[in-house]
Amino acid sequence: MITRTQILTLILNRLKMLGEELHKPALVEATEQTRLFGDKADLDSMGLVTLIADLEYDLQKKLGWSVTLVDEKAMSRLTSPFRRVDFLTDYLVEVVNQKKT
Amino acid sequence: MPNAIITGTSRGLGRALAEKLLNEGWNVWGFSRKASLIKHARFTEQLLDVTDESAVQQAVNLMSNNAVTFDLLVNNAGAASMNALLLTPAKTAEALMRLNYLGSFHTLQAVGKLMVRQRRGLIINITTVAVPLALAGEAAYVATKAAVDALTKVAAQELQSQGITVIGLGFGPIETDLIKAVGKEKLALINQRIGRPDGTTLNQAVDFIFEHVDMKSITTGQLYYLGKIN
Repeated sequence: MITRTQILTLILNRLKMLGEELHKPALVEATEQTRLFGDKADLDSMGLVTLIADLEYDLQKKLGWSVTLVDEKAMSRLTSPFRRVDFLTDYLVEVVNQKKT
Repeated sequence: MPNAIITGTSRGLGRALAEKLLNEGWNVWGFSRKASLIKHARFTEQLLDVTDESAVQQAVNLMSNNAVTFDLLVNNAGAASMNALLLTPAKTAEALMRLNYLGSFHTLQAVGKLMVRQRRGLIINITTVAVPLALAGEAAYVATKAAVDALTKVAAQELQSQGITVIGLGFGPIETDLIKAVGKEKLALINQRIGRPDGTTLNQAVDFIFEHVDMKSITTGQLYYLGKIN
């Protein structure tokens, strides 16, 4: 069992680490409103890939089963789940709950 | 001790490369459909089909659970089919594309994520001189390896910033089961064209791969051939 707050914490922790690595203070101090991808975002495409790879690993460790965050359904949504921290958090909650049922 | 994943270790080049790395002190994880004859304390076998995305992902997840870091991935699993283009069954072309291209794609994607987290790693995709030579009679096979070459170049571009090097290593006919159906005259002709009239032994191919494992001497995105390609 993992709550939305725990998932948000995972994301913010990973963004903090990435921000320190990439020297981007906006990522170190990320909030739910931080843009991840697209215009005015602080992550480039490889940064986003790194974040997703890290989060898949974190979730796998926490839950004990593997989670794949990028699939055709995620990529074809009108609003990309990777656009903002809160969107990503909600998407992860959805993925984890779907896998559970 | 460095750690490597090699696909297609049940026989041929994959098995010989696994044995070489084990002798050089590496830990080796082998992905293959059939059990290998390799018996070594540092060899771990994962019996799986590399065309099965979820099987590959599960195997890699198991490895990452054990907190092992991976230095090297060699995408070697593959098959060939020699036939005139107009007589090649579509099913053969499809099966080859699944194994040679999609197999490499799935493994690269799963292990690539591990390497992105590590911020380092070397990925070697095995390719063939048949692509630059555009060998007649090998259309289906050549197309799959051309796709692998394209994958190598794009993966190199995308992963370079994460400390990951991706190269292709290409060979002419190597003395393995893969070429047993090819006539001697045809083999001689290909070997002549690449400046290796005596052909390529399994040991020579393995040594060529091992030389390129030294990351300082290689450029990401490059395709290196054992033999002369004009």
